[in-house]
Amino acid sequence: MFFHIVLERNMQLHPRYFGRNLRENLVSKLMKDVEGTCSGRHGFVVAVTGIENIGKGLIRDGTGFVTFPVKYQCVVFRPFKGEILEAVVTMVNKMGFFAEAGPVQIFVSNHLIPDDMEFQSGDMPNYTTSDGSVKIQKDSEVRLKIIGTRVDATEIFCIGTIKDDFLGVINDPATV
Amino acid sequence: MIEPYNKLVKLAARAFYDDLTSKGDNQPKTGRSDNRGIAVVVLDALTRRQWVREEDLAKDLKLHTKQLRRTLRFFEEEKIITRDHRRETAKGAKIYSAAVAATADGQQTAKEGEEKVKLHTHSYCCLDYAQIYDVIRYRLHRMKHKLKDELENKNTLQEYICPNCAKRYNALDALRLVSFEDEDFHCESCNGRLEVESDKIASQEGGDGDDNARRRRREKLKDMLQKMEVQLKPLMDQLSRVKDLPVPEFGSLQAWEARASAAVRAANGDINAGDSKISQLGYNGVPMPYSGDTKVVVDFNNAEGKGEGVKSETDGTGLKVLPPWMITSGMNLTKEQRGEVKQEAKMDGTSTSTAAQYTDDKKSTIGLEDNKNIQDEYIKAYYAALLKQQQELEEAAKTQLSNTPPADDPSSSTSNRQVGMKSKREEDDDGTEWEEAPFTGNGNEGYKVDLNVEAEEVPADQEEDDDVDWEEG
Repeated sequence: MFFHIVLERNMQLHPRYFGRNLRENLVSKLMKDVEGTCSGRHGFVVAVTGIENIGKGLIRDGTGFVTFPVKYQCVVFRPFKGEILEAVVTMVNKMGFFAEAGPVQIFVSNHLIPDDMEFQSGDMPNYTTSDGSVKIQKDSEVRLKIIGTRVDATEIFCIGTIKDDFLGVINDPATV
Repeated sequence: MIEPYNKLVKLAARAFYDDLTSKGDNQPKTGRSDNRGIAVVVLDALTRRQWVREEDLAKDLKLHTKQLRRTLRFFEEEKIITRDHRRETAKGAKIYSAAVAATADGQQTAKEGEEKVKLHTHSYCCLDYAQIYDVIRYRLHRMKHKLKDELENKNTLQEYICPNCAKRYNALDALRLVSFEDEDFHCESCNGRLEVESDKIASQEGGDGDDNARRRRREKLKDMLQKMEVQLKPLMDQLSRVKDLPVPEFGSLQAWEARASAAVRAANGDINAGDSKISQLGYNGVPMPYSGDTKVVVDFNNAEGKGEGVKSETDGTGLKVLPPWMITSGMNLTKEQRGEVKQEAKMDGTSTSTAAQYTDDKKSTIGLEDNKNIQDEYIKAYYAALLKQQQELEEAAKTQLSNTPPADDPSSSTSNRQVGMKSKREEDDDGTEWEEAPFTGNGNEGYKVDLNVEAEEVPADQEEDDDVDWEEG
């Protein structure tokens, strides 16, 4: 699920950026620093959308670096248990398959794949129904449901299932 | 009302705790030490009791206390029983005994001997019906849920195990386990190939991923689910039967004792025979602010003592005399309806015999059995008389206005109040109020509080009063 929230961060800025466009430098550095990171609490920071407030800078003794407390708005993505996501399959093996929904990695183990789909090893390992009409392989797009999350301080990992109504392949690259 | 619940407990005991062994696994099982079924026996025994002291229960069941305790502890963890431990004197234990007798047949003579001050820890246990109902429902729900989940292979976290080092992983670790050499998962520590853990109920024999195995597993699960439905049907029926019934509630140990003793008091007809000294000192002898309800009842010595008090007022030597002021008018009304004809004849006999009795406590209990009936009669009669007296008194009080204490003239009733008892506050219908004066000797002090002219008269009667004064306002 996506959220638009305000976060705060202390930015350290090198003295060489002091000048007319200190503020622009600060913002671009902020974007470079936080976009794409993940915190267990808020999820993945997708994009910084604006700056709320930049506090007074504090010059650090000895280094000359200046610390600015910056409040910024950003979009975060946080997966939840029970959430339905669309994801791209990245790897298939006999234990199941891995998929990605943006920054989130999701593992679907083979007992959470419908019983009528069989693992086929080979050059392009995949799960296929007995009549061959549905195939899950690398780069397939699947709709899945998150049934478990593992949230560390800097990492979120999910396991999902496609064993439910309206879940499974939504766009098969082989047929396109 | 308790019967359906008892049946529920018995069914549950047989369904879930039938093959429970309380022995640790390390001990070899011989025929002798095989104690399966004990749990059922204990639970059945508890359905026939309310609060019970664990030693008594052990004795009744001819079990070793340790063994029983182990079983009880297990049930406590299962939330089936509640237990209460308290350190108490022999007196405290007696309170319990009185309460037990109350539930048994209502005849109990607690004798007032010298108590050892030594404290023992006693444990009591009791079935917790409300919780049992919930526990059983929850258990059934979980069983069904687990089976159904597995049947549908839904929401289960796949586990993996390393055959070399027996390290376990689950699907949430999957990302770290992938290796790029092949498509298997590898152990983090020994790089061994992980295998799918199959500790699920029905998946023992199935090769993983095999279509046939999966089908077999499903069938087995379905079968199990069906069997469960069939075999636990009586239990579920009983659950639904019990659903709308009020839950039998015994309350905490103390509350239960209080109620039980109140019941026996009512049954015996001597409402006020309680030994208020015991009741007001807590189990550890600490005075409690107001605990008139937790009273041991049924003290025939006391009852007689009160009779004695009426007959010969001089003889108030610290007996447990029944204080008439404890009688409330509502209770007395019931007395009134009882015959008061024969009382006079019997009074003499009983009072003499009781006189003998409380000279020696031990003896009295023996002799007590014989004239218990007589005493009963006598007590009833006495109360009737007493009631009349009180009513007169109240009348007098009313006429005299509230300023003059009504208690002034009838010396018989005042004499009864002497008894070394802490008086409780009670409100009479006419607003008469009794107040507690914590200690004696200086009864006058108590009177100063709110009373008036006649105060001196009453203390004259109360020379013997060691503990308490009473007043009327």
